[in-house]
Amino acid sequence: MILSKVNGESGHEIDDEIADLERRLAEAKTKRSHSTSLNSHPPLTKPLSSPLTSPTHFLLLLSDSALPLGSFAFSSGLESYLAHQKVVFGQPSSFASFLPLSISSYASTTLPFVLAAHRDPSLANLTALDDALDAAIVCTVGRRASVAQGRALLSIWERSFAGALAEQGTAGGAGGGTDVNDALRGFSALLRSSSNTSSSSSSSTTTTTTTPTSTPALTNGDNTPTTTPISSPNNDPPPPPPVAAHLGPLFGALCALAGLGLEQTAYVFMVSHVKALVSAAVRAGMFGPYQAQKTLASAAVQGLVAAVVQREWETPVEEAGQSVPVMDLWVGRHEVLYSRIFNS
Amino acid sequence: MNSPFPKSSSADGKGCIIVRRLPSGVSDLETFEYQYPLKLVTPKRPPQTSALVYLLSYGGGLVGGDQINLTIEVKTGARLSLATQGHTKIFKSASPDIVTRQIMRVNIATGAAVCLLPDPVQPFARSVYEQLQIFRLAQNASLCLLDWVTEGRTALGEHWSFVKWVGRNEVWTVAEDQDTQDRLLVRDVAILDSKRVHLQLPVLRESMNGLSVFGTLILRGPLMKSVGEFFLAEFGALPRLGARDWRNDDAKDSKESVDRLSPLDKWRAERHQREKDNKVMWSASSVRGCVVVKFGAPTVEDGRLWVGSMLTQEGSIAQNFGDQALMCLRW
Repeated sequence: MILSKVNGESGHEIDDEIADLERRLAEAKTKRSHSTSLNSHPPLTKPLSSPLTSPTHFLLLLSDSALPLGSFAFSSGLESYLAHQKVVFGQPSSFASFLPLSISSYASTTLPFVLAAHRDPSLANLTALDDALDAAIVCTVGRRASVAQGRALLSIWERSFAGALAEQGTAGGAGGGTDVNDALRGFSALLRSSSNTSSSSSSSTTTTTTTPTSTPALTNGDNTPTTTPISSPNNDPPPPPPVAAHLGPLFGALCALAGLGLEQTAYVFMVSHVKALVSAAVRAGMFGPYQAQKTLASAAVQGLVAAVVQREWETPVEEAGQSVPVMDLWVGRHEVLYSRIFNS
Repeated sequence: MNSPFPKSSSADGKGCIIVRRLPSGVSDLETFEYQYPLKLVTPKRPPQTSALVYLLSYGGGLVGGDQINLTIEVKTGARLSLATQGHTKIFKSASPDIVTRQIMRVNIATGAAVCLLPDPVQPFARSVYEQLQIFRLAQNASLCLLDWVTEGRTALGEHWSFVKWVGRNEVWTVAEDQDTQDRLLVRDVAILDSKRVHLQLPVLRESMNGLSVFGTLILRGPLMKSVGEFFLAEFGALPRLGARDWRNDDAKDSKESVDRLSPLDKWRAERHQREKDNKVMWSASSVRGCVVVKFGAPTVEDGRLWVGSMLTQEGSIAQNFGDQALMCLRW
């Protein structure tokens, strides 16, 4: 107080300094009153409140290789690539040449769906994206990998994250959190009901094909009966189930729910792919754990991931597609390998 | 902005084909219209089983900036085969933003069928090409669709030397009534772009890994059931990669073991050997009621030989659409 009167006419800098000194004095006094031991340490930076760190917290969880997605079971064509280069082409194979192709291919086929789901994680959009991606992955092995991991992610949300994220939605007031939770809940219910009906409808068509003329109305199953008479019974296979639960759209929606930004989501999605590939390479005996970390840490991987995220940033899902056609052959032909340690 | 240069000579080639089924059972071209640069030709004596149209272009190719917009309707119970007479050449574009484009929209009514087995698209160096083919199928409609692309003019040293090639194929089922919605079954998109967004990405020709031709075959519907199952079964019967034949050479080549084989087994054994020698890679998947086959080969002719041999051996395409439907796959 005395100081401030003496230097009353000086500039703001001194005022600020005084205010700062007074604050520190007050803090020191409260510290002394709270603890018996006097300390002369500078004040600790204030810890961030938990709602603020929540997205970062979930960023760490979703990028953790311990996230039980079962990614370790898939090599995304790496195993098949190695076998084909050796047996069919008699050419040297290297992780360094496979990795950029895989990153480019995965980004061009799948990343637009992740981004679209993050931008609009409503149930209607999530279902539409899942169906469109199911129509776009035209390879048995690739579908298996994508659906297995998608369903695993949905289980993780359901069994592990849903409670915490619902609380955060109400407490943090981020808005939309509860909506996304609802969307995922609806999606999960749709998945459960469709896996029930699809098994029953497929069995019904196998029985009706044996007696095609008897009761054509039954072949339509739960559809509304058609008014126009159709000369021949429907020989088409049953329509695909409404949802399959592919990884991409669900990952985008879950990241939106957890409060991750769009860029973070895209980056984590691609880095997780690279991590799974690198870990597959280690288990395939291509290199050891230090080389694996060196690869992950490299400027090349960082640059590649950033570049493909940027490339696909505005790609509409209708225009997403395969940028490395031979990747479809490697992944698809994983099934013809004599010995396999991965599921893709 | 007005360009100081004269306008490009590119044109919008619209076309329309409508096929109906006459009471006699013959498929008849009800409407058959086209304009430059699209040219459609139909033989004077079409096959008994199906209408046949050749998709051509004046000069045998599409000049940079050309647009083709073809609409096809195949009415209830009718059949249409579509073929070409030689590769569809895509000439270079003056600049990367001039896109040569082909759009084909095909509606296939109840019980109708389309068989599209063209020659491959051959994009020349510096060409920019986009192709969109949308097929909408009513109940019991059938579709055989082959879409394939080559490295360019091999003899001139072209090897995936174009600027960009995008091919998109969509197969939809059409809603039967107002309560249901059209459903996308398969959307197969290939994007071959010479532009690299990062230096670590290989150039296009490296990323093709030695292939000179790459193709996709999509099969759907009652008329394609048998050929679809054939591809799936043959894929399942492929020799395992990395497996060893433990028999000695005498046992392998002994006359008895060869004689015991059925004609199909013999054909299959020869084909397996050819696939191995020619390094033909292929896979087949059953996807949402369609069968999708992907294949690639280090030479265009080996790719043609492979797909032609498969379809000829199975035989139902020729039976349902006539031999001419397969004319682009003769080797």
